[in-house]
Amino acid sequence: MLLWKILPLAFTFGLLEILLRFKDDAELARRLKAREPHAMSDLYDRYGRIAFSLIYRIVRNTAATEDLVQETFLRVWNRAQSFDQQRGSLGPWVLTVARNRAIDYLRSIDGRMSAGSMELDRLENPALFSDFEDSALSMDRTRRLKSAFEKLSPNQRMVIELAYFEGLSQTEMAERMKQPLGTVKTWVRSALKALREELSGVAIA
Amino acid sequence: MNCEELKDLYELYALGVLDGEEKDEADAHLARGCETCRKSLNDALAINTILLASSPSVAPPRRLKHRVMASVGVERSGWGWAAALAAACMLVVALWLSVQERHRATELADARRTLMQISAQRDSMQQALNFLNQPETQQVGFGKGQPAPPRGNVFVNPRSGVLLISSNLPRLDPGKVFEMWLIPKGGAPRPAGLFQPTAPGSAYHMLSGPVDVSTLGVVAVTVEPEAGSAAPTTTPIIAVQVGF
Repeated sequence: MLLWKILPLAFTFGLLEILLRFKDDAELARRLKAREPHAMSDLYDRYGRIAFSLIYRIVRNTAATEDLVQETFLRVWNRAQSFDQQRGSLGPWVLTVARNRAIDYLRSIDGRMSAGSMELDRLENPALFSDFEDSALSMDRTRRLKSAFEKLSPNQRMVIELAYFEGLSQTEMAERMKQPLGTVKTWVRSALKALREELSGVAIA
Repeated sequence: MNCEELKDLYELYALGVLDGEEKDEADAHLARGCETCRKSLNDALAINTILLASSPSVAPPRRLKHRVMASVGVERSGWGWAAALAAACMLVVALWLSVQERHRATELADARRTLMQISAQRDSMQQALNFLNQPETQQVGFGKGQPAPPRGNVFVNPRSGVLLISSNLPRLDPGKVFEMWLIPKGGAPRPAGLFQPTAPGSAYHMLSGPVDVSTLGVVAVTVEPEAGSAAPTTTPIIAVQVGF
């Protein structure tokens, strides 16, 4: 049985609505940088559910999820000083940290550590999110992405699932799916291109 | 690879799953401040954010917030109540131990006091025995044949002093003691020490030191206030003629 038949990538809006609700959190970012105790409470109230849901989706273990959510917020708290409150967006950053903590956990129990852990660490740098435009997130764009996603083939959905929620590289996907690397790369690129073009309003060729 | 080719890779790059030459190329473009690639990365972050946030919503347990807050030192952990309970228990135990310790200290002090009393009595009896064994010691009895008054003996040793051994003594009122007097012939009574019964109705009392037996006329005992008196204030209950 192919994995995508038992793990279809679901597309729900619950978390997205939360994310969109709190796009403008420059003031919260400022308070986090100032180490205001209530800022951490507010940050958790905004993004605790998102982090928990995403991590649980990846690790499928409640106890491990709780550990990783704690680690996520500890990282955000410790790195908030580097966050650009004028330009950055907290939600995508918290989401990325949460996803990376979960992937790092999966890799550790699979014995797939090594350089990957450092790479994830590097990609959590708040500076990467300093030019993130809030306008990139909207319910309209989200619906369009969902629409494009539903048009993907099972293989394309599968590689998206493996990349986003299992943290596999294209080489690892090829091994997992027992497919040639070139074929996997084609699925990945075509899937992402379809999503990208749907978001930018360009019709898929 | 040019920027257009790299554009297809930034979602994977931002996820940390791009490897080999492709990752190196993306790093190089971003490192040199390539604006096109920077924009591609931002677009990729948006797609990644939406896809990651498309996960089903699951409510975290309530305790998790306390745990998170505790981990950054903003709030006590969920085990704070346990720590408080443990501290309260330790306080109770410490108080109990303190009371027990104080109780033990009191018992120890009582035992030490009793031991000292016994030791003093033993020394006193040993002293009395030595006194009695000395050949110079002379004995005078009193009260024989009379049922009510005190009975006993007075022992006088010119070098060692005077020893009184008595029974059938009257009961002392609270705050009262017996006081022994040495009354020279034709002189005023001189205080010779305070004592209390060693057992109901019985007592012995010794005045240590040389005694001029040639002038000593009477050994007497009166009941006096517990601080003693400079001169008898009551009628003697014992008055023994010791003219040697």
